[in-house]
Amino acid sequence: MATKPISDPQAAPVANDKPFYGPQDVAGIDYARDLANPGEFPFTRGIHPEMYRQRTWTMRQFAGFGSAEDTNERFKYLLGQGQTGLSTAFDLPTLMGRDSDDPLSLGEVGKCGVAVSSLDDMRRLFDGIALDQVSTSMTINAPAAILLAFYIAVAEEKGVSPDKLRGTLQNDILKEFHAQNEYVFPPRPSVKLVTDTIEYGTHHMPQWNTVSISGYHIREAGASAAQELAFTLADGMSYVEHALERGLDVDEFSKRLSFFFDVHNDFFEEIAKIRAARRIWAKVMRDKYGAKLERNWWMRCHAQTAGVTLTEQQPTNNVVRVAYQALAAVLAGVQSLHTNSMDETLALPTESAVKLALRTQQIIACETSVTSVADPLGGSWFIENKTNEMEAEANAIFREIDDLGGVIGAIEHGYFRRSIADSAIKQSLAFDSGEAEVVGVNKYVEKDYERIDVLKIGADVEKQQVARLQQLKRDRDAKRHQQSLEALRKAAADDANVMPFLIDAAKADATVGEMMEVMASVFGRYDGGPEW
Amino acid sequence: MTDHPIRILLAKIGLDGHDRGVKVLARSFRDAGFDVIYTGLWQTAQSTMLAAMQEDIDVVGVSLLSAAHLTVMPEVLRHRKELGIENVPVVLGGIVPEDEHHLLYEMGCAAVFNPGASVEGIVEKFKTLAADRKRLSLSEAIAGYESKNNAALGQLITYIQRDQVDGKWTPPAGSAKVFGITGAPGVGKSSLIGKLGKAMCEKGFKVAVVAVDPSSPVHGGALLGDRLRMMWGEPGDNFFIRSLSSGKEYGGLGPHCADVIRALNGYGFDYILVESVGAGQSDVAIRDVVDKTLLVLMPESGDSVQFSKAGIMEIADMFIINKCDLPGADATEGQLKSAVGADRPICRVSTVRNEGIEAAADLILA
Repeated sequence: MATKPISDPQAAPVANDKPFYGPQDVAGIDYARDLANPGEFPFTRGIHPEMYRQRTWTMRQFAGFGSAEDTNERFKYLLGQGQTGLSTAFDLPTLMGRDSDDPLSLGEVGKCGVAVSSLDDMRRLFDGIALDQVSTSMTINAPAAILLAFYIAVAEEKGVSPDKLRGTLQNDILKEFHAQNEYVFPPRPSVKLVTDTIEYGTHHMPQWNTVSISGYHIREAGASAAQELAFTLADGMSYVEHALERGLDVDEFSKRLSFFFDVHNDFFEEIAKIRAARRIWAKVMRDKYGAKLERNWWMRCHAQTAGVTLTEQQPTNNVVRVAYQALAAVLAGVQSLHTNSMDETLALPTESAVKLALRTQQIIACETSVTSVADPLGGSWFIENKTNEMEAEANAIFREIDDLGGVIGAIEHGYFRRSIADSAIKQSLAFDSGEAEVVGVNKYVEKDYERIDVLKIGADVEKQQVARLQQLKRDRDAKRHQQSLEALRKAAADDANVMPFLIDAAKADATVGEMMEVMASVFGRYDGGPEW
Repeated sequence: MTDHPIRILLAKIGLDGHDRGVKVLARSFRDAGFDVIYTGLWQTAQSTMLAAMQEDIDVVGVSLLSAAHLTVMPEVLRHRKELGIENVPVVLGGIVPEDEHHLLYEMGCAAVFNPGASVEGIVEKFKTLAADRKRLSLSEAIAGYESKNNAALGQLITYIQRDQVDGKWTPPAGSAKVFGITGAPGVGKSSLIGKLGKAMCEKGFKVAVVAVDPSSPVHGGALLGDRLRMMWGEPGDNFFIRSLSSGKEYGGLGPHCADVIRALNGYGFDYILVESVGAGQSDVAIRDVVDKTLLVLMPESGDSVQFSKAGIMEIADMFIINKCDLPGADATEGQLKSAVGADRPICRVSTVRNEGIEAAADLILA
C-alpha cells in the first residue's frame, strides 16, 4: 500500500500514474478481512446486505431562505414532490448565533437561509408539519444546542415528546475551526457544548442523530479527498473520546453519530473515499473504542454533490456535473443525498431548479438499475487499490494529528487551516495553468452562453423579521426571561450540561443572540487561532 | 515606484465565513510581490476603510459571498468618502448576479469579479488600479500630518518607509512611551495588543501600533496578517495601526522602522506598541528603538518549559503569560518566576476570556 505523506501538497495526487490496474494491485487484500460481503464487518462494501434493493437512500434537499413562512412553504412543496426528509438551511446571522436585529446581521437576514432568532420563528417554520412524521436535519453548528432546544420546545407544544423526534443536528463544531469559520467559542468549550448535546440526546432522544460529522465544508474549502476523509474521521474520533470522558457508554451514544461527505468530480476517487471511510470507522469503533453492537461499527453517511464544482458560466452544464456526482454517491452506498441545483453558484436555488436536482436522484433510483445490486464496483482492481490508498493516506494524516496532541492540539497549531489553504492554492494554480480543465470556464468557453433566472430575496424580509423580533422582546415576560438566562449562565459556569437550561430559556422567549452572549461570558469568544 | 511593493487590503465584511477565495488571492498577490494586508473575518465597512486609510492602501478588495453586496458596498463607499480617501479604488469579489454589476460600478466600485475569474486577471487589474491611484505629494502629506490628518499620516509613513523623505523633513519631538512586544509565533501577541490598545484608548490615551511581519524571502511580497487580530469595533482616531514588512532580512524590523516610530511619536501618540516577529535578529534590533520590552509567553504542555532563546529572557523588562485559559498556566508561571527572579513583573492574561487585560494595561501605563 502506498504511504506517501499526503499533507505535503507536492505529493497530493493529481492524476493516476498507471495506465491500468490488475490483480497485482490488489494482491495484499484478504476478502474476509478487508472487504467482506455487504452488511458484514468492516463494511467496506456497505452497511446493509441488500443496500438499495431493500430501501433507496433518503432524498434530502437542503432548503431555507427568507422568513420562516417562506421556508415553511418550500418544505411543504418538497414533501408534496415526494421528498422524504426535511433539511433546514439557516441564514448567516443565525449560523453565527446572532439575532436578526444585531448590527453585524445587516443585509444578511434571510439571504442564505432562513432567519430563526426565537422560539416563535421556529414555531412558524414548522407550522402544519407533523414532527413525529418527518425526519428533520438542521445545518447549524456554534448555536446548534440552542436550535435543538427550540425544536424540542416546538415539538412539545405539538404534543410530540423528544423521544419521538427523528432527525439530525449538524452540530460539528470542529470542522468550523478547520474550514467553515462559523465558530464562536474557543475549541475546548465548543466541544464541551457538543458533548452536552450528545449526552442529552443519548438519554432523551434515541432517534436523533446528535452530530453529523462533516467533511463537506473541509473539502469545499480546498482540502484534497484524502484530507477530507482523514480530518472528518479524526473529528469523529475526537467526539467519541470526549463522550467517553463524560462517562457515556460507547454503545449508547455512537449509534447516533453520522457523517456527511462531499462528492466531488473525481468519480472513482470519491467512491473509494467513502468505502475507505466505512472500513476505517468500523475498525476504530470496534477495536479502539470497544463498541460491541454491530450497528455502532457502521459509518452511516449523508452526501452532497460538490458546490464548489458548479460554474457560473454555462450554468445548465451543472445539471450534468451533479448527475455524475450523485451517481458516484449512490455507487459508494450513502444513506442520504442532497443534489445541488444548477443555479447555486449564482444564488439560492429557484423552485424549478430544486425540482430538477431532486429529479436527478429519482432518475438514478428508478431508471438506471444501479440499485439492483449492493456495491456493484466491489472487486474492481482499480477501486480496491484506490480504497486501500485512501485508507493509507488517512492513516498517515492521523499520525500527524496525533503528534500535535490530537484534533484540538492540531487546531491550536493551525495545522488544519494551513493544510487546507496549501491544497486550495495548489488547485487554484492548476486551474490558472490550464492543467485542471473546467468546461465552459477555461475550456470550451462561450462568450454568450444562455443565462438562467435566479432567485432574489427582497430587503422586506429583513425589515419584517427585525420588527417582529423587537416586538417579541417587548412582549415577553421580562422576569421569567431574565431568570432563565441567569440559570443558563450559572449552569455554564458550573460546567453542568446546559441543554435543560437552553430549553427553559427558549420557552421564556430568550433569543439565539442572548443565549450565545450569556455562554460567551463564561466560555469566551475565539479569534480563529494561529493560522488565518 | 516599481521598486516598492503595491500595498493592498483584502477584506471580509459581515458574517460570511467563505474565505477560500480570499486566502488564495492573498497568497497569489504576495507571490506577485505585493504587500497584502488581510483583515480576517467579520469586519465592518468602517473598520475596513479605516484600515485602508491607516495602512495607505493602493487598492481595497472586498470579498462578499453572502449576497449582501447591495447593502454593504454603499456603506464601504460612504466610509471611504468620510475618511477622505476617495483616491483608493475599491474592488468587489463574490457572487454577484450579472444584472447587478452595473449598479455596483455606478455607485463607485472600480471592478467586480465573480467566481471563476482568473487570479492572473485579478492581479493585473489591481496593478493597473494601483498605478493610476493619485497619492498625496510629499509636501501635501507633510502639511496634512502637521494639521493632524490621519489619512496624510498614513501616506507620509509610506514616504518614510520608501526612503523618499531623506532629510527634507524631520518630525517634531514627541513624548510617547515606546514598548516592544515580542514573543514566539503563536503566543497571541496581536490579539493581546488589540485588547491592550482598546483598554488604553478607553482610558483616554492615544495609541499607535507598529506591526512588523516577515516578507516572503522568495518573492519580496509580504502577507501582513497581524492586523486582523488587533482590530476591534469602531476605534476612531485614537487607535492607529500600521503594518510594516520586515524587508529582505527575515526577522529584522525592516527599513526605517525607527523613523516610522519617530513620526508617530511626533504626531502626538501617547503610547507606541511595536510588535515584532519574535525571531532572530529582531530580538536584539528591537532594543534600539523601544524604551521597554515586553515578552509574551503561553502555557506549555509537558514537564519542562522551553522558554524562548536566552537572549530575549535577559533583555525583557516585563512578561505576560497569555492564553491562561489553557492548561499549564500555573506551572509556566512558577517556572518563569524561578527563571527570571522577582524583580521583573509577570502578568497573566487570557485574551479569549478578556481576563487580565486591565492589569496588563496598567503595567504598561505605570
